[in-house]
Amino acid sequence: MSDPLTLRRRDFWTALFLMALSLFFLWKTAEIPFGNTNNAGIDSVRWYNSAAVVPFALFCLLFVLGAVLLVIAIRAGGAGGLRDLGWDRDEMRRFATIGVIMLAYIGALVPRVDFILCSALLIACLIHGYHGGHPRRMVLAAGIMGAAGVVSFGLYPAQADWRAPGDDVFVLFLLAGLLVHTQIHARGDKVARALPWIALLAPTVLICAMAFGFRQNVPARTGLIFAQIEYHYFVTLRPLWRG
Amino acid sequence: MDFLTTQLVGFGGAFLALILDPWSYVYITASMFLGIVFGALPGLTATLAVTILTGFFGNKIPLDYSLIALLGAYVGAIYGGSYPSILLNIPGTAASAATAMDGYPLARAGRGGEALGLTTTASFIGTLIGTVALLIFVGALLAVSRNIASPEKALLALFGILLSGALMSEDLVIKGWIAGLIGLAMAMVGLDPLLSEPRYTFGWSYMLSGFQVVPVLMGAFAVPQIIEGLRHVETGQMVALRGRIMPNFATIRRHLPTIGRSGLIGTGVGALPGVGEDVAGWVSYGVGKTVSKDGANFGKGSVEGLLSSETANNACIGGALIPLLVLGIPGSPPAAALLGAFKINNVIPGPTIDPEIILRVVAIMVLASLTMFIMGLFTARLFVRILRLPQTVFLPVVMVLTTIGSFSVGGGINDLYLMLGVGFVAYFMNLMKYAIAPLVIGVILGGLFDETFRRSLLISGGDLTTFVTRPGAAILLFVNVALIVSQLPFGKRLVALFTRKSA
Repeated sequence: MSDPLTLRRRDFWTALFLMALSLFFLWKTAEIPFGNTNNAGIDSVRWYNSAAVVPFALFCLLFVLGAVLLVIAIRAGGAGGLRDLGWDRDEMRRFATIGVIMLAYIGALVPRVDFILCSALLIACLIHGYHGGHPRRMVLAAGIMGAAGVVSFGLYPAQADWRAPGDDVFVLFLLAGLLVHTQIHARGDKVARALPWIALLAPTVLICAMAFGFRQNVPARTGLIFAQIEYHYFVTLRPLWRG
Repeated sequence: MDFLTTQLVGFGGAFLALILDPWSYVYITASMFLGIVFGALPGLTATLAVTILTGFFGNKIPLDYSLIALLGAYVGAIYGGSYPSILLNIPGTAASAATAMDGYPLARAGRGGEALGLTTTASFIGTLIGTVALLIFVGALLAVSRNIASPEKALLALFGILLSGALMSEDLVIKGWIAGLIGLAMAMVGLDPLLSEPRYTFGWSYMLSGFQVVPVLMGAFAVPQIIEGLRHVETGQMVALRGRIMPNFATIRRHLPTIGRSGLIGTGVGALPGVGEDVAGWVSYGVGKTVSKDGANFGKGSVEGLLSSETANNACIGGALIPLLVLGIPGSPPAAALLGAFKINNVIPGPTIDPEIILRVVAIMVLASLTMFIMGLFTARLFVRILRLPQTVFLPVVMVLTTIGSFSVGGGINDLYLMLGVGFVAYFMNLMKYAIAPLVIGVILGGLFDETFRRSLLISGGDLTTFVTRPGAAILLFVNVALIVSQLPFGKRLVALFTRKSA
């Protein structure tokens, strides 16, 4: 829970950011035709049907509200340095590690790596890293996902290469390593013992339901595991009930 | 009278068609189960349940089944929030926060089974009250709303954003409005609706179609919830569930006036644009405390207090659907997710909506409340066991669900980048006590506001008096201005002076 003074300190900086952002977008709005324009001798835009009229009013209003927030923050004693914003070291570490994990997952792994594999790695990292609140495990989890993301992005930055299987193998190796590590250190921890099942079953069931139940597109269809499932679904299983 | 008969006959037909279709039961049971689980697990919310199911079912199955799944989850999640409120003193959803005030003391007194039986019955009756109001008022309001033109629509959209900003803000009201304006600004991205002029696309073709609703919903509601929930939390000691979970009809009969009053309050609050079930629960609880003879015992295990909040939060669902279906303005954050589902199915709620859809929605709500009642009474112990699941275990799975849902609607990786970007921004906004619901409502209503505001100006040749010369628009403009003034220091002093005089 944040105390009012901490909130006002945050508001002070947010208001400044908001005002700067409003000014930037007002400048971008100026690029949209406004006022009476004339194209090839034909009047095209008047102020009231310009695409800029609503955004212009919006960003002016945002700037004003930002200024009002700034005044409120200053009056409440919120003007000041960036130090006392109520974020302790533990919270910063927690957010930074989750940020790295999510960025690696969405930004690098989902487009390039088999979806079952990368989702299993995500689940394993998040449960291992954040269940129990151990700071070292958080850093380890972020390190593993970060490494997977960097390798995948580094090997195949261009969209044309996203289907290549090299990074799938690397992610599989990382996943196996993490699962073995969690089982060695499980020592009666129910969640740690259940982790491999949750990590592997949840994405497999979800992705199969999506692909074969709802017939939807799924990310990285040609991935290491999903390609095999898809092949056997159409070649081995489907003929059984199709006769 | 004719109108009521037509509505009832139409509802009867829709309900019959619904209960004769075996697939209805499959979807309603599965979504109700999922909804109650989402509501019961602290860290997951009703909005998240509807948002994730929008990603999953939104445009994959026929609209009727999609609505069954989404409304089932909505009703189930609002009800499911009462489990941890009563047994753990931790509200499963914000809507059940008031329930904990009396539910937990009742459970500690060994009346947990009775409390759950009462909340199940109250939620059932509350949902039905909201649904009846939906059936009666939507038809009547639709007839009125056909006379609404662009100026009124623009002012209504603005009212929805302002009201939601004012009522949903935990800290300063100005922050709620800022959130709403940021949402409106996000809706400006892409080709503008009248001239197809590109705005803020930064040369990226993906941005030409603007921000897609589902990734924004997922980002705004799911990602911050996941980031916030991934921390070690010692779950409080769960109170042992004693007694049978059965409705006590004698108690219910004795408290029928309270249930009726709370149902009406819940429906009324729900009908206000952008105001959700949590506000409904607290308003009803506050009114109950003031008017009830048992008011002094509220917060100490009062059955009336429990019924006040639980009836109202479920009645709010029907109320929240009224502005959604009549005007295309969501009455609550989960209703905003429902609007997303309508949009991706190319159904535009508002004056032009097919009345058949409204009758089907009413029929689904009745089936959903019946299913909730039955599942609540007979499978409650299963949901109680689920409460023991730590959030660090289920939130990673929710992250995968969110990713699949967001990807499958648009089918593009860019939607995932958008989801993550919006998610990080929403997380920081949460941290600084900016309400997220006005932002989402701003994104959803931004297009409508832009289009109708400019169309009004276009038709009037740039004459701004068009917003005061039309009676409907003048009233709405007055309401908007009054809302803003009432939040200013001067306005607050005026309101305080007025209320002191009238007291």
